[in-house]
Amino acid sequence: MSSTVTRTRLAAVAAAASIVVVAGCSSPGTTDKAAKGSCEPAKGKVVLQYWNTVPGMDKVVALWNKKNPDIQVQTKNISTDQYGLIGNALKAGKAPDLAQVGYDELPSLRTQNAFVDASGCKEATEAKSKFVPWTWSQASFGDTGVFAMPQDTGPMALFVRSDIFKQHGIAIPKTWDEYQAAAQKLHKADPNLDITFFDPNNAEWFNGLLWQNKADMYSYSGDKWHVTVDSAQSKQVAEYWQKMISDKLVRTDLANGSTQMYAAFEKNQIASYVGAAWGYSMFRDNLPKQAGKWSIVPMPTWGSNGSSGDWGGSTVAFMKGGKHLYESVKFNTWLTSDPEALAMENKLGGLYPAANDGLKLPALSEGVPYYNNEKIFDVFADSSKKIDTNFAWGPTQKTVNLSLQDAMAKAAAGSGTLSDALAAAQASALKSMKDQAIPATAGK
Amino acid sequence: MTDTATRALPVAAPAGTRRRLRGGGPRPGTIAAFLTPFFLPFVLFYLVPVGYALWQSFLVVRRTGGQYGTSYTTFGGFEQYEQVFQNGEFWSSIGRIGLFGIVQVPVMLFVALIIALLLDTPLLKLKAFFRITAFMPYAVPGVIAAIMWSYLYSPQLSPVVDLLQDIGLHPDFLGPGAVLWSAANVSTWLWTGYNMLIMFSALQSIPQELYEAARIDGASNWAIAWRIKVPIIAPSIVLTTVFSIIGTLQLYAEPAVLRQISSNISSTFTPNMLAYAVASGNNYQQAAAISVVIAVITFVLSFGFMRLTSKKAGL
Repeated sequence: MSSTVTRTRLAAVAAAASIVVVAGCSSPGTTDKAAKGSCEPAKGKVVLQYWNTVPGMDKVVALWNKKNPDIQVQTKNISTDQYGLIGNALKAGKAPDLAQVGYDELPSLRTQNAFVDASGCKEATEAKSKFVPWTWSQASFGDTGVFAMPQDTGPMALFVRSDIFKQHGIAIPKTWDEYQAAAQKLHKADPNLDITFFDPNNAEWFNGLLWQNKADMYSYSGDKWHVTVDSAQSKQVAEYWQKMISDKLVRTDLANGSTQMYAAFEKNQIASYVGAAWGYSMFRDNLPKQAGKWSIVPMPTWGSNGSSGDWGGSTVAFMKGGKHLYESVKFNTWLTSDPEALAMENKLGGLYPAANDGLKLPALSEGVPYYNNEKIFDVFADSSKKIDTNFAWGPTQKTVNLSLQDAMAKAAAGSGTLSDALAAAQASALKSMKDQAIPATAGK
Repeated sequence: MTDTATRALPVAAPAGTRRRLRGGGPRPGTIAAFLTPFFLPFVLFYLVPVGYALWQSFLVVRRTGGQYGTSYTTFGGFEQYEQVFQNGEFWSSIGRIGLFGIVQVPVMLFVALIIALLLDTPLLKLKAFFRITAFMPYAVPGVIAAIMWSYLYSPQLSPVVDLLQDIGLHPDFLGPGAVLWSAANVSTWLWTGYNMLIMFSALQSIPQELYEAARIDGASNWAIAWRIKVPIIAPSIVLTTVFSIIGTLQLYAEPAVLRQISSNISSTFTPNMLAYAVASGNNYQQAAAISVVIAVITFVLSFGFMRLTSKKAGL
């Protein structure tokens, strides 16, 4: 929470609202197709603005600036309020040329006409083959244009305390059924030990689990969004975790990344963690005493379906209002797919690349000391390739995530179920889309 | 802006001229110079945003084109307000905060009054020390206070919880039933000193002769406190109550921080949190309508309370 003035006065609330909505009334008429930008190179030197939240990005950009005196890039770190700042700039007509946008926020921003289509640039359309398929699918909205370049991803995997599993003579689970069986055994062996925790306030994580089960939440045809947040595949995941919660096989009182979570790990109360690639450094940096105890293995699968899921990651989007699309494409392509740039972003910012070449970086091919010198990135690279490319986010994802979380929290507290939470999310998706006048219908 | 500033002048000018008949009164330019530092920010950062929110609350979003068509806003009458009134989450947040206020405000003000009365007795030594100690929590920013308390509430980290567990108690400060009161506790800790100080200043202005007269009539310290001091500072108590009602309706920081460690605080836990959540989902018009409704409820409750008590309190 960034705006945390004690007992905010109404004026402050209103002021915040008014700063955000500077231009409320825009005239209708411009259709989305007109957003395709022209790709003329500029004459002479240009300066691009690039907003991001990645630590050390200034150094990456400095390298580019040294090599490209005619295309100078200025960076601004917007990690204090990423989407707030982007939204304000858009409304004020002062958006940067390029901005970091999470995959799940792409449709929402596109609905606000935030992007320019770079598919007029040959280099942009040709970049498709450079990226892991699902990332391109989301950044190009199913190949209907080029609105962003994928930058990093969060392919999911299972972090396991191999020592605890070994101690109790339990094999590392490969399927979700085995995982549940292991959860029962661990809990029976030691009532203070749980296989993992379920954080009800983390819709992003739960969405990753849904994604793994090919639970397509949104699709588009016939001039309408089709909302299937509570599909059978989603319900399968929800019922699975509901059973884990009802049988008290998972903790529900820990928030992901919180001090409390690390304390529980430290006290050996949690035996595994369903995480993403970027989580490897979280464990290394916050749990130094547990070096050598953690392993990273593929995420448990749904039966023989070997699909994996993704949790987080970002793109670098072409923002509406940028005047130098040609140069923006050049820089963006370098930033998101050049091995030298990716190596720096990985080292300084911990980004796990979305580019195929990035997965082969030397730093991502070596064993990692904290994890017993295991080649953990092989697991993530493999996961990355197994992520469903059909999955799409909705245009009001943030609102839906909040509704899902609120309802999941109720389920975790014992009133309602996770299936109810899916129903609440489905209703919230339809309502929020209606509020934004986005045509939508329930079901395929 | 200057327009509004000058428009305010006729109101102020007669009062000034009446008082200074001989001097002919200050020139309008002087009055404007003194008033501008107040009116300019007041208009810019208060009236304009409030007016803007009001205007926004009457707009609705429409869209042309396909999947990602272009949106625009248009006048929608009371459509946003209809939605607010039909929004169950909104009314449950109001109910929750109502319960919070009915319990927390009297407790806090009672404690503040007791401390103020104690500080005012001649019996107490080290007055300055106790006064500052009682006031100190108010100097801690609300967010920091909430973070501090969240460590004390957290079963993983809290020495308090550890101690209670050692004696066989298993409190769950962050559980679904308790978390509202845990937030109330943070508010009470933060604001008691502030309210105490307002009451204490009122006590300080009571003339000593009243006490002397009371003592001559045989009143005990107890009787002086309840029969003389409390009735005299009643206007201050009313004032702190009104402030507290306003503060309660606008509660945000404490639950928002506790939400980081407890999923039992939903994104719509308090009316302001709901407005924030709706705004973060790009529905600024709805958020504006929610804000206006909160403001109206706040006005009704605080002015209603003042009217109700004004005769008794002598306001």
